[in-house]
Amino acid sequence: MDVVRLQDVEKVYTMGKVKVPALRGVSLSIEKGEYVSIMGPSGSGKSTLMNMIGALDRPTRGKVFVEGRDISRMSDDALARLRRENIGFIFQQFNLIPRLTALENVELPMWYAGVPKVKRVRRAAELLRLVGLGDRLRHRPAELSGGQMQRVCIARALANNPDIIMADEPTGNLDTKSGEDIISILEDLNRQGRTIIMVTHEEEFARRAERTIYIRDGKIVS
Amino acid sequence: MLQYIELSLKNLAYQRMRALLTLLGVIIGITAVISMVSIGTGMTKAIEEQFEAFGTNKIIISSTMEFGAKGRGLVDADVDDMEDIVGVAFVSPMYSVSTGSEFKGEEKVITVWGLDPGKAERTFSDVGGYRLYRGRWLEPGDRNVVVIGYTVHDDYFRSRVELGNNIKIQGEKFRVVGIFAETGDPDHDKSVMVNLDRIRELLGREDSVTAIIVRVKDGADVNIVRQRIEERLKNRHEDAEFTILTSQQLIEAISSSLKVVQVVFGGIAAVSLVVGGIGIANTMVMNVMERTREIGIMKATGATNSQVMRIFLVESGIFGLVGGTIGIFFGYLISRAINAAAEKYLGPGMLTTAVTPDMVATALVFSVCVGVISGLYPAYRAVKLDPVEALRA
Ligand SMILES: Nc1ncnc2c1ncn2[C@@H]1O[C@H](COP(=O)(O)OP(=O)(O)OP(=O)(O)O)[C@@H](O)[C@H]1O
Ligand SMILES: [Mg+2]
Repeated sequence: MDVVRLQDVEKVYTMGKVKVPALRGVSLSIEKGEYVSIMGPSGSGKSTLMNMIGALDRPTRGKVFVEGRDISRMSDDALARLRRENIGFIFQQFNLIPRLTALENVELPMWYAGVPKVKRVRRAAELLRLVGLGDRLRHRPAELSGGQMQRVCIARALANNPDIIMADEPTGNLDTKSGEDIISILEDLNRQGRTIIMVTHEEEFARRAERTIYIRDGKIVS
Repeated sequence: MLQYIELSLKNLAYQRMRALLTLLGVIIGITAVISMVSIGTGMTKAIEEQFEAFGTNKIIISSTMEFGAKGRGLVDADVDDMEDIVGVAFVSPMYSVSTGSEFKGEEKVITVWGLDPGKAERTFSDVGGYRLYRGRWLEPGDRNVVVIGYTVHDDYFRSRVELGNNIKIQGEKFRVVGIFAETGDPDHDKSVMVNLDRIRELLGREDSVTAIIVRVKDGADVNIVRQRIEERLKNRHEDAEFTILTSQQLIEAISSSLKVVQVVFGGIAAVSLVVGGIGIANTMVMNVMERTREIGIMKATGATNSQVMRIFLVESGIFGLVGGTIGIFFGYLISRAINAAAEKYLGPGMLTTAVTPDMVATALVFSVCVGVISGLYPAYRAVKLDPVEALRA
């Protein structure tokens, strides 16, 4: 079954009077458990595409199905619940909340899902151990290295045990060694059966995926 | 809910300085509310107590005639008239005047109350506070004797005035036969009581009286008796020559003017609270703007709009709660300080300000409401943020 399916998706950003077409008729489908990388020049619409797949944004035209549901017809809160249960995000800029500890950052998605505190803390700690940060639970993001922050991010993405992991240039701000660590964690997750969709600029990382989607000027080129 | 509070406290702790500055507005507002309301209720209580002590079964007729004015003020004949009125228990005439006095060569102006010596005790003894400290009341046949208020005894003159001492009033010697205990009213404590006829003799005022105190019989309707007195007085006098007040009316008049004072106090306090609320709103808008990206993260990781709303409302509500709690504490301190000052300068029991549990609860609820209401607009802005835009911030 397809976890993600896009039909003729267009996305136009309107800045005042100027209309910026970011996606111009994209169709694709991704199967459950697939490991897909997305490549393309800067400004080609990769992040925009990720936002559609991740149910963060609605298309201007066309249809986006996530887990079989048409997101263009869903309310804000329904989208929030869909993201909470089914999708984990990993960002280039990590996007951790600075005043919360690693543990608390990982707790947040479970907090939104109403998981009781004891369970939440236990799972968050377990996930942080899984990504190799068992000894950094009480550290705040500022006290962690880039690679460590990105691993906190992965732990957070896994909090509610989603099927789909969306990673937009997860290694973009990391050195080669840390980047390699992150990619291998993602590969592990894929081996456990999770769908991984990753934007990257690194040929080498992209080639390790099962499939690479090339995008240019808002269109899939291959 | 607890979880929201926990999260908000973390956010507040993170920016202590700004939180503190924001709290200041609410603190000042609630401090003002608590201290003002406590003073207001303290004043009302003090005055009501004083009048309650005076009893509700009295009617006071006072002459509104000025010295040298045309027409006649109240006279002895009016007193006699009133004794016949149905429902009247007894009538006590009074002549009060501020006049020169002298004790051990020291001259001071003093308030002298001339009373019928046979009625003085009956008129005042059931009035709270009029207890004898030493000696005795005026008695029939007394002429050149005086009963003095506590302050007169204690420190009105350079040296203490004791039983058996002589005070000169209007140049005549009066022997002190009694001293009242403190009444709680500084004016009364500075007064002296003498024989009505004697003081009028000395002043050459023959049969005039400045006030008549009528005690109503138990069970009689004070207002009906009041009407009868008014009709009787009109036979002899113009309306403008006297005023009649029942003790009930006095209490009502004074407490209603105190209500006005309280409303004004409350208004001032409310304005400062509004200012506090604007402070909260301002800080919260800043918070929302600074945390735009964070709001994007919240939404991306699955927070619903109502959760985002609640997070910001709880945060601003906590501003209100914390500010309110500190404000109540300061208000309590101010109320205590005013108590201490009142005791020192006005005398004990004159003004007892109190911070009641009711006031505390109301102030807390109120400050939380101010916080939450101030947070509505900022929280709405947070909800309206588009997650993609917010993440790009
Ligand atoms: N919120 C927005 N408002 C206006 N234009 C936007 C917005 N987001 C993206 N765009 C435009 O849409 C196009 C695609 O942007 P997008 O961020 O998807 O590119 P990208 O492939 O992720 O680039 P990069 O590799 O630099 O991250 C760009 O021209 C960009 O300027
Ligand atoms: Mg991008």
